[in-house]
Amino acid sequence: MAVVTGAPVKRVRRRFGRLGPNVILLAALIFFVAPLIAMARFALQSIPMIRLGWSTLFDRWSLRGLTDAFSEPTFGPTLILSLKLAAGTVLATLLLLVPTVVFVHLKLPKARSLVEFLTVLPYVVPPIAIVAGVAAFFRPNARWFLNSHYSLIPFYMVLALPFTYRSIDAGIRAIDVRTLADASRSLGAGWVTTIWRALLPNLSSALISASFLTATVVLGEFTIARTLLIETFPTFTFEYYQKSPQGGIALALLTLVASTALLGVLTLLLRRRARRRGGTVAVNPTVAVAPTGGDALSGATAP
Amino acid sequence: MTTAAPIAVGDRTIGAVPKARPSRRRWTWLGLLPFLAFLFVFLLLPTYGLMRKAFLDTNDHFTWSGLTDAITKERKAFRQSVQLSLLTAFLGVVFGTPLAYAAATAKRPKWLRSLVSSFSGVAANMGGVVLAFAFISLLGVQGLGTKILKVLGWNLYGGRFNLNSFAGWATVYMYFQIPLMVLVTLPAIDGLKDSWREASANLGGTTWTFWRRVGLPVLAPSMLGGFMLMFANSFSAYATAYALNTGANLVPVKISFYLQGDIAGRSPIPFALATWMIIFMAISMGGYFWLRKRAERWRS
Amino acid sequence: MGALTFTGIRKTFGTNVALEHLDLDVHDGELISLLGPSGCGKTTALRIAAGFEMADAGIVSVGGADLSDVPAHKRNMGMVFQSYSLFPNLTVALNVDYGLRTRSIAKPERRRRVAETLELVELTSMASRYPHQLSGGQQQRVALARALAVRPQVLLLDEPLSALDAKVRAALRDEIRRIQTEVGITTLFVTHDQEEALGISDRIGVMSNGRLEQLATPREIYRHPASAFVARFVGSMNELPATVLGPDAVEIGGLRVATAASAGFTHGESVALLVRPEDFVAHLGGTPSAENGLQGTVTAVTFQGPTTIISVRLDRFDKLVSAEMNTAVAPIVIIGDRVGVTIDATRALAERADPAVQPARV
Repeated sequence: MAVVTGAPVKRVRRRFGRLGPNVILLAALIFFVAPLIAMARFALQSIPMIRLGWSTLFDRWSLRGLTDAFSEPTFGPTLILSLKLAAGTVLATLLLLVPTVVFVHLKLPKARSLVEFLTVLPYVVPPIAIVAGVAAFFRPNARWFLNSHYSLIPFYMVLALPFTYRSIDAGIRAIDVRTLADASRSLGAGWVTTIWRALLPNLSSALISASFLTATVVLGEFTIARTLLIETFPTFTFEYYQKSPQGGIALALLTLVASTALLGVLTLLLRRRARRRGGTVAVNPTVAVAPTGGDALSGATAP
Repeated sequence: MTTAAPIAVGDRTIGAVPKARPSRRRWTWLGLLPFLAFLFVFLLLPTYGLMRKAFLDTNDHFTWSGLTDAITKERKAFRQSVQLSLLTAFLGVVFGTPLAYAAATAKRPKWLRSLVSSFSGVAANMGGVVLAFAFISLLGVQGLGTKILKVLGWNLYGGRFNLNSFAGWATVYMYFQIPLMVLVTLPAIDGLKDSWREASANLGGTTWTFWRRVGLPVLAPSMLGGFMLMFANSFSAYATAYALNTGANLVPVKISFYLQGDIAGRSPIPFALATWMIIFMAISMGGYFWLRKRAERWRS
Repeated sequence: MGALTFTGIRKTFGTNVALEHLDLDVHDGELISLLGPSGCGKTTALRIAAGFEMADAGIVSVGGADLSDVPAHKRNMGMVFQSYSLFPNLTVALNVDYGLRTRSIAKPERRRRVAETLELVELTSMASRYPHQLSGGQQQRVALARALAVRPQVLLLDEPLSALDAKVRAALRDEIRRIQTEVGITTLFVTHDQEEALGISDRIGVMSNGRLEQLATPREIYRHPASAFVARFVGSMNELPATVLGPDAVEIGGLRVATAASAGFTHGESVALLVRPEDFVAHLGGTPSAENGLQGTVTAVTFQGPTTIISVRLDRFDKLVSAEMNTAVAPIVIIGDRVGVTIDATRALAERADPAVQPARV
């Protein structure tokens, strides 16, 4: 009886079968990481490109580009404004959406598809169109509204609406809202208490996710602020670049690092929660754009 | 007529599932009021406002001339925007699909797919200023990449390449188009069941047979949907183009140019441009969602 | 020389031995079920036959021809998968047509065969529907038609009913058997459901941990299980602690029980005696004088029509046993009644009362 070890040809082919995909992954890695490396170098190394060579590769690395930017008078105010706008947008979004989504799930299931459709409309009216609309409607009719910088908040809410709604909706679908609400009400709690003590704690993952994503969007939003000539941190970054390229790029690097750190913290937080509760994790920021049907979880899975 | 004994709280009856009397049913819609009001004021009204300005002439008569003027005056911007969007969407499909496939089918290391997915989520949303600056650092005249290529023998700026030009925009746009395509395509590739490949082989088909007759046809709606999504994404992108070149001849940049120059809003041009943009977006996004529905039908 | 033969097949996945040494001969036109719990190697064996896995050692042959160097798409076998194997973008007819097209068969002939096979599975009216418009049972019938249309030498079925509802499962099971006998095709059927296997097979191969424990007709498997594993897996078993008295008897709770199961064990050894429920008889009121009787209390009575199952908690061992009796002769008892239980241990099995199991002898 011959002992046959599986056809060697097949085995070799299998190893080669991964060559193509691996090359693609490598090329992608280079393409996506190179700009970041270039940005870091430009921001943190004070040597002009002409003088950069193998011998000068490790010279003059410092945070000077960044620290100079910090001492710029408009740095502080714009950063604080952006942070405030982020916090305000997050708060306002949660205040508006959580009750609405809970309400739709509990009381008005028929409205679900309508609401879902409405939350997708912001895609059809992109930021540049919104700002045109603001100029068309609010400037002539409600100029007082635009006087405050905080007027950006509702428009930022609209911008983030597809993400945030999907996030919260996914969170609500994952818990049995009806039972929790009924249990809470039957124990004598009013609606506010029910939401605050029974539902919100169980939605924490979705809420954290939605909040962090909103914050990232707001901290990077440029279009509306720029066109309405409101100075936020991103517009400041752009302006400062005109004055000092290295400084501007350093600020951009800072923004990127901060956003990534935010996302990293978010992932860790959610993973720890999921592990404690044995659930799954939704981190994908473009959760609204990627298909649903369980794909709100397509962003990250705790390995 | 309510069924179980209701617990009355305030003016709402909770605890029972009432057979809705028509008046009760109508009142429940009130709960949506905050949300609807919010959307009305901050989404609908601006949209209405800009369309109004686009379609009304100085005597407040309805006219198409706003829209047609916008095209004729800004023909080049339109052309470039459309071409740029078509090109980057097409390249997004060409590069994004294999990347998604490579990530979806990677067995080792196990965290690879998760990494690609998370990174794609970040990159797809990357703010325009950060991205533009990153590429300026890489491929600008003083860019690190430019220098490296020069050392390797390729003078990037000796030819027609310029980060401020069409080719430059396209390159930069790929940074968020490809991840977007990956995000949209990963689930679709997951949906390609192993059993289909095995069944195809079992019935005598080669790998090529499978892709030609089952794999690509099943992926086609997702790929087409991704194309439309990327088209919309590119067409509406403002920050990246503006940060690269404040005078870029693209529709979104033109809109802000007009708006910043004309505070009183007399000219209908920016609003007509914005209306055109909404039309394009509605068609593309509508197409995307419709195709996605079709693709999901096969996946269950 | 059989139609499908496994000779010395061995397969490991890393450190996990999926198949130790499989020798199996499926006769021409026969339907053999590979039955066992998940992880026993049955699916691996099937996939090796299909060519989706390569064995580490051993040969698979069909009609005497060694298939070791033949890639999966050239093996001319039909396979039905557990679920979702129909191509979603093709109609039912085009699905069935798929294998015919890869074989470059002429169009009129293809059309004829598609119609013929669809008629065989009674789905002619669904020819232009798409898979997502069909029910689970219908999809599997189309999968069967698709596999058969190419007139394969062997039919492989990988738990084709597991994903279906119970009612559909029973109906489709009989369908598959009917078609298989009608066409007369050599078939290998993998399942973890013993009822399924018992119902449709010419022979059953019970597998556990990569080994074939027993290969026999359904009746043989049930009445004369070759090992304690087979006895427990197929049908249900009562287990009683016993001490060996000799080659023809054991002692249970002070009572002497005649049985041949103790042959091969030493006197005084502790064993577990495995007895089928239908070999237990319950008597109302208890019969302490009967030679093989044990006392207990009724915990449940399950009326099943022709048979009744009486569950009894025995006094001596605090053990729950079931007696399955013909309703006509079963005593009429309710929960809490005292009964005596007698054992007919002629077909019983014994195994060492120790986790390191030695295969029991009948």
